[in-house]
Order: sequence, then C-alpha cells, then structure tokens
Amino acid sequence: MTEPAVPRFARRLFDPDRRISRIGDGPLGGKARGLVTAAAILADRRAELALPGIAFDVPALVVLAADAFDAFLDRNDLRPLLAEEPSDESLGLAFRRATLPAEWLGDLRAVAEHARCPLAVRSSSVLEDARESPFAGVYGTKMIPGNQPDTDSRFRSLVDAVKFVYASTFSREARAYRLALGERPEEERMAVLVQEVVGRHHHTRFYPDLSGVAHSWNFYPSGPARPEEGVASLALGLGKTIVDGGSCWSFSPAHPDRPPPVGSARELLELTQSEFWAIGTGPPPPYDPMAEAEYLVRSGLGEAEVDGTLRHAASTWDPAAERIVPGLSRPGPRVLDFAPILVRREVPLVEALRRLVAASEDTLNAPVEIEFAVTLAPGEPARFGFLQIRPLLVSSRQVDVAAGELDGADVVVASTSALGNGTREVRDVVFVERAGFERGLTPKVALELETLNRALVEAARPYLLIGFGRWGSADPWLGIPVRWDQIGGARGIVETTLPDVSVEPSQGSHFFHNLSSFEVLYFTVSPAAGRGIDWDWLEKQEIVARTDHARHVRTARPLLLRVDGRTRRGVVQRRA
Amino acid sequence: MATTVVNNPYEMAQAQFDRVAGLLELDTSTRDLLRQPLREYSFAIPVRMDDGRVKVFRGFRVQHNDARGPSKGGIRFHPQETLDTVRALAMWMTWKCALVDIPLGGGKGGVVCDPHNLSQREQEQVCRGWVRQLARNVGPVADIPAPDVMTSGQHMLWMLDEFEAIHGGHYPGFITGKPVGMGGSQGRTEATGYGVVFAIREALRELDLDVKGTRASVQGFGNVAQYAIRLYTQIGGTVTCVSSWDQADQTSYAFRRESGIGLDQLLGIADRFGGIDKARARDLGYEVLPGDAWLEQPVEILIPAALENQVRGDNARRIHPAVKLVAEGANGPTTPEADAIVEEKGIRVIPDFLANAGGVTCSYFEQVQSNMNYFWEKDEVLARLDVKMTAAYHAVSDLAKRRKLDLRDAAYVIAINRVAQACHDRGWV
Repeated sequence: MTEPAVPRFARRLFDPDRRISRIGDGPLGGKARGLVTAAAILADRRAELALPGIAFDVPALVVLAADAFDAFLDRNDLRPLLAEEPSDESLGLAFRRATLPAEWLGDLRAVAEHARCPLAVRSSSVLEDARESPFAGVYGTKMIPGNQPDTDSRFRSLVDAVKFVYASTFSREARAYRLALGERPEEERMAVLVQEVVGRHHHTRFYPDLSGVAHSWNFYPSGPARPEEGVASLALGLGKTIVDGGSCWSFSPAHPDRPPPVGSARELLELTQSEFWAIGTGPPPPYDPMAEAEYLVRSGLGEAEVDGTLRHAASTWDPAAERIVPGLSRPGPRVLDFAPILVRREVPLVEALRRLVAASEDTLNAPVEIEFAVTLAPGEPARFGFLQIRPLLVSSRQVDVAAGELDGADVVVASTSALGNGTREVRDVVFVERAGFERGLTPKVALELETLNRALVEAARPYLLIGFGRWGSADPWLGIPVRWDQIGGARGIVETTLPDVSVEPSQGSHFFHNLSSFEVLYFTVSPAAGRGIDWDWLEKQEIVARTDHARHVRTARPLLLRVDGRTRRGVVQRRA
Repeated sequence: MATTVVNNPYEMAQAQFDRVAGLLELDTSTRDLLRQPLREYSFAIPVRMDDGRVKVFRGFRVQHNDARGPSKGGIRFHPQETLDTVRALAMWMTWKCALVDIPLGGGKGGVVCDPHNLSQREQEQVCRGWVRQLARNVGPVADIPAPDVMTSGQHMLWMLDEFEAIHGGHYPGFITGKPVGMGGSQGRTEATGYGVVFAIREALRELDLDVKGTRASVQGFGNVAQYAIRLYTQIGGTVTCVSSWDQADQTSYAFRRESGIGLDQLLGIADRFGGIDKARARDLGYEVLPGDAWLEQPVEILIPAALENQVRGDNARRIHPAVKLVAEGANGPTTPEADAIVEEKGIRVIPDFLANAGGVTCSYFEQVQSNMNYFWEKDEVLARLDVKMTAAYHAVSDLAKRRKLDLRDAAYVIAINRVAQACHDRGWV
C-alpha cells in the first residue's frame, strides 16, 4: 500500500502550513492514513461542507513512524521478552526502562516544548492498514495534559505515553485479538500519533463539548430509520465514553429528533450518560505511566453544569410530569439527550454530520465510520474536529432466511433482529447458565468467559456465545462487561434477556464495528416476542468445560448459523 | 595516521581566533585576553612504578577562560602531549561551550604518558598524582575535568576519589565521565558520537541528501567514532571504511568493505583503545589499507574522529570528489591550509567544536545531575542533547548563510562573541 505523502516534522507542531507531519520514514499505520484522508476530504470538499457556524478541521498531529517502533524493540533487545508472552505488568516495566531511538528524541522533545496543550497519543497500527482490519480499542491511547510548566515534565509524559502505546501492542488483549485474526503476534508494527486534543478548559478539566461516532450504515435501524441513513452516537466529554461502550445518545441523522427506542421517558433517564471523561488539568495525579487513564478524570453532570457545557447537551427530567423537558431552565435531574442540538438545532451539527458522512462515503466509495469531537465556545463558530475515518465493512453476500424457518423444529436460536449477514458452522457453544444468574455477578462471568474463550481460541475452535444483557456494557448492571479479547473467538453471539434483565441491546460502536468486521453473526433474542432459545436442548449437550456461571458444550453435529442482512432474520439450526 | 605534529595547534588556534576577532572587530584588550589562557598549570607527577622505580610524568592543566562559568575540559594521556596542544584544546573548549550555549568555560589537561605501557595501578597513581597537584585549583565551581584521549570512567573515579579524600566530602560534580551508577549520566558514552551524527543529519537535510543513500569513511575507532558509526548506520547510512591505530606497528591502518563495515564485528576484534586486529579483519573480508586511505574513499561523508592535524595541505587534495561533507569528530583535525583546499572542492565542513560538542554538552548534563544528585532517564538526556546540537547547528548555519561565511567561521563568530560579551559584562575588559 502506498504511503501517503506527509511532510517531515520541522520541530514546529502547530505550524499552520504543516498541521500533519511525520517523524521517521517508516509506515504511518492505519489511523494516520485515515487522518490524512480526513484532511484531504476537508480540503477537497470545502465548498460542499461550508456551513455558517461550523469550522471543520483535523487537529494538528505528528506521526512517529513505525521504523521508530522497530528500532525501539531491536536496540533495547525487547523481542526475546515478547516471545515469552510476558504479563502486561512486566511488559510495561520493560518498555518503560527501554530508551526511545536517539535520532527521534530531539523531535519528540520539540513536540513537548511547543505543544502546551492536551495531547492524545494514539496507536496507528500498520497491520490495521495492511489488513484493512479494525483494531479500534485494541491498542492503547493515552491522553496527556501538556499543562506542566516545564518542557522536561511534558517531555517525560510524552515519552511515557509513547512507550505505553508501544507496550499496548503486545498486551494480553492485543495478542488474543491478533490470534483471533490469524496473525502472528510479532507481525504487528506500530506508528504513534501525537495529536492536539479538541476541547476547552474548564476549571481543572479539559474536554470537548461533545464527542461522537457516526456510521453511514446503521446496523440497528429502528422506527422509521433505514440502514443506509446511518447512525450516530454522541457523548459529553472525551470519546472514551463511546469507545468503552458506556451510555451515550444514539440517533439517526435522518431523524435526529427521535429518541432511542425505549419503553418510557423514565427508562431513557436511566440509560443516558451520567458521567463524562475529561483530561485532568489540576494537580498532577499519582505517577502511573502504564495506566491508560493516568491523566483522565471522570466527572458527573453537576460538574458539567458548573462548567457550562450542558447548555447544548441536556434536558431536564420533570418527575411530577414524568417527562423530559428541553433545556436547563428548571431544577431537576439532567438528561443528556442533546436536544438543543438535535431537536432545536441551535447548532447546525446534524447537517454538518450529514454532509461530512456523505463526503466521506463518496471519497472512500464505501460505507464509513467517522469519529469527531466538537467544541461550542460562546460567540465562536463550533469547532468540528474530524478525528478518524475508516471504511465500515458491510457484507454483500446474499443469505435468505424465510420467516417460516424461525419456527422449525431444528431451531436452537431464532431472532428477528439479527445483525450481520452470512452463514457459519460451529460445534462449540458457550452459554451463561440460566440458573443462578444475577446481575451483580456479571464481572465474574466476564472472567469465566475469558477462560473458556482462551481455551477455544488456542484450540482454533470457533463458537457460538449466548448470554444475558448488553454485551460489553461498561455498566455491569446492564450486561456482561466483557472486553473484546475476552470473547474474541466467538463467531456467533446471542444477546438475550432474563425476566429481571430487561435492557436495550448494546450500542457500543467500537464493539459492534469489531463484530461486523469479524463478520460475527449477532442475534438479539427477546423471549417476550415468542421466539427464543432452545435451552433444554443446549443443556443436554456434552459438557467440555464448566465454570460457576457458564458452560462450554460441544454438539454431536454442527450447528448452522445464518443471518439475512436485509430482513434481519437470523437462525441457528441443528444440522441433520 | 601521521603522528608528527606538522603545525603547532596553539598557533593554529590563535590564528583562527585572530581572524574571527577581526570579523567581530574586537577591541585590543579583549583580543589580548582571549587569545591566551587565563591560567596554566604545569607540574611533575612522580609515580612509583610496579618495578619499584620512580618515574616522573609531566602533567598540565590550562584554564583558558571562565567568564561564562567554571572551566570544563578533558584530560588526555598521550605520549606526544605538549603544553601548546593543551592550550589550543582549552581555547577550543571555551568556544565549544559557548557555541552550544552551556554555562561553562574552557579548560584542558593532560599527562605525557602512554597508558598502553602502564599497568592499572600505575595509571591510578598518575590520576591521583594529577589531582594532588591541582586539588585547590579545580572543583565543581572552578574547573571540571572529564575523560579524553586514552582516559576513561575508571580514571575519572580515581581522580574523584582523590579529590574527595583531600576535601573531605562528596563532590560528584567535580568530574564528569563517571560510570553510570557512580555519578555518571546515562547517554554520556554515546554523546559525542551521537552529537556528530545529529549535526550530520541536519547538514544532509540542508544539502538535500537522503542519509540512506550516503556512505561515510571514518578516521579512528575510539569512543567517538564507534558511536558515530552506530547511530549513522542506524539512521540508514553506510560506513565503508574505518581507520584505527595499531599499537604494535605504531602506525594506523584503514579497514575497508564496500558493502559496509560491521560495527559489532569490528568491535569484537578490537582492543580497549579501539585498535583493530588486522589479521582477523582480513579473515572477515576487510581490505587492510594504509592508514591515510580513509581520506581517499569514494564516500559522501568523511568523519575524522582521531587526533588533530589529520587533514592537511599535503593530503587534502586526495579527498575523493564524491565527498560532500566533513564532520570533524576529533579536535582540530583539519589544518587551515587543508580548510582552504576543502572549501575549494565545495565540501561543507562541520567544524570540530560544533560537530563534537555533544560530549561536553552531555558532560554538562552530568554535572547538573551530579550537583543535584538526581539522574535523568536516557531518553531525557539524549533528547536534550539532540535539541542542543540541532539548535547549535542551525544557529551556525543560519549565520553562515546570512553573513556568507563558512560554518567554521560562523561558529567562531557566535562563540567568541558570546565569550567576549561575558568578559565585557563582568567588567574584565
């Protein structure tokens, strides 16, 4: 793949003529390539993107190319350690003790000297670029405040952050992920982006007024929304909320004033974002260079209200009327539904998003996923920071699942709101036991699933996973809080509910991007809809392994998993 | 490698100074002050040798100028050491410290001896004797020695120990070049050689040459040469020839391999002073050529990193036409006659006190760390070094372009101007 032309870093990060530059001559990785494309879209489509009150940009960035990563591993003799599959702790320690290549340190120090603003130090995987595979959320990103008064401290934070990203390349999670992809662990090479964070200072916090992810194809269309109209998710503060699968506000850009499909306004109140992430700019936190969130703080909506950042983001819950009232004029719990933007259109953000997604899709000639962050400073145009663009994988193979097939005698799982498109065969099933399942146990269940998943990945056996609540939820009360690496070997996933675990299906966009890119078939099963899971049959299958709350069984004959992406019908059948 | 000094280095240093003093239009008193050292010490060091005899060695210390801060400079153990050599080197140290803008003056010391012929115990006695003679005239706030030709971290520790014994306390900032863990700085060993390459890297960018397409020939195989070769090859360059001193034959040889020398391979067959075993080098496929051959190689970059006066009027014309850049890793390797020839050939010369200033810069970092007894990570040291070196290179290059000077004169103008200004500010002249 041809490397994009990126000028060499000239020891001046925010030189207006050189907002994207490189240190080193090696590959720049997938994320950097995406950002170069993002900058090109903004430049080439300036006229069609022009909107009063909106200023688009790609935040200034410098890329430390992957040859620095190679040199770091080689010159510090770290490869033998990697072969031993060290723990994340030993890996972090060894990487921290190692020295970055001498020839690029001066440039990094110049970055630290000039960039007196919060910086995001982000992975830019070469494998991701080569494979066009998603590694979102797999590798580390570290935010550093850049507010220390002296260059030395800023430089140390930057160096630690680069080493953190390097170490994250070989974390247990990343190794499991690559294994699931069929890649050899040593094949990965990492470039590192150092990028200005879009945001504003508020007291001891720095964060954007909102962050978001938009897909040009909607895997979860509801109500009048159509898949091709896309979907977007918004959160107050840093995008970590969305990446981690936390509560955020999802909407169709074609129908921005329609709330998510939940039962009641009260339910909406419970499901909306109640905390947000920011970069802490107060007193320095305890030194913990290998913690991703070292410089991050999580704050409640009360702080945001003091900061004035709820003005465009929140409505108010009126308990007497059991309804949500737009704006902040009355007291009451705040609800982050972004109504001032989505309903009242105080800022033309929806239009900006529609235009940018359309321009991006047109440029890539494929469905896209974009990430962005917005600041809404009073009296200034909204700054729309374009943070990422990548193609979104949508399968084009045709699979037909007739309505009648869902009721067949051979059906193990039936769903009318399945995701993905295609056919799989598995003989292994991992399911969370019905008996004894409690919401409070979900973190433990996640660990048990990890154990079962590891054994299956090592044995190269794809499997079907069945569990309750929102997969990958950041809130353990809403579902099983697994990371992708803990279930990465599953090729079919069933999300179902128990009577006391009635929550909306998960919407964590990074998680779903991974699922769809691995072409994992995803079945949402609502027993209330009359169709469900043949638990009795599953529980009679041969047990391979069992933990306190989960069971791994093997079927005598393969199970056939099929999803029809057009009708969203999905079925798991016993093969004759 | 020619060992006969064809030019008196002190006269050479003074001549260079006089020319730049003219460019700067310095007044007479400032010229008088700066063209000679502030202080000189010349003394005897009696040492009882292993065979029981007492041998008297000659030691020197010259403090050329300390208007900008304590004197700083190495201690050389060399059989051809002369006071004039030490004077010249002390003066160059003043300019070097000023050029990279560190708050130190210039000094230099030496002992007329050949450590090849001395046991470890005898070398220790030379070191301790040198400090005993000077204990009241050197120290962290007066004059800070460092390793130089044929002296090492071990020599510095002996000297430190003697100094601390005399003064009754711990003064890690008295001396630099100490081993890491004993008050030394991370990155100090690499600093001079890496600094040479930082300067080369910037010069190549200005010349619009991609380092990956360049070759280099290096004179010398000591610390500076080794680390310069290391980093230069790491950033993509190819070293095709390196020369080293052969102690047994008392001459030097050049070791050539067109496809590029293997640094670790040669280090494996070199003695602790960098002398390469020529028989084993031949076995490894190297051509073994006369020492001067390093100068004639078809390469883009020459790195003289041995002793002074190696590129002279009588051999400079043998420099190959492919050469675009000379980076002086050694002190004073190019004579003024050779400078003229090199300029005529259109070759850019990164002058010694710019190219090899990485050593003193890192020594300064070591002293800062020693004085506060807090030591930095290697990343931090090397990054600061790169920033200092790169900033110094561009300051020189910018001035050279502005005033249509060569890099050497531009560097002198910057450095001498800074020192002269400090002398004025202190009210000395």
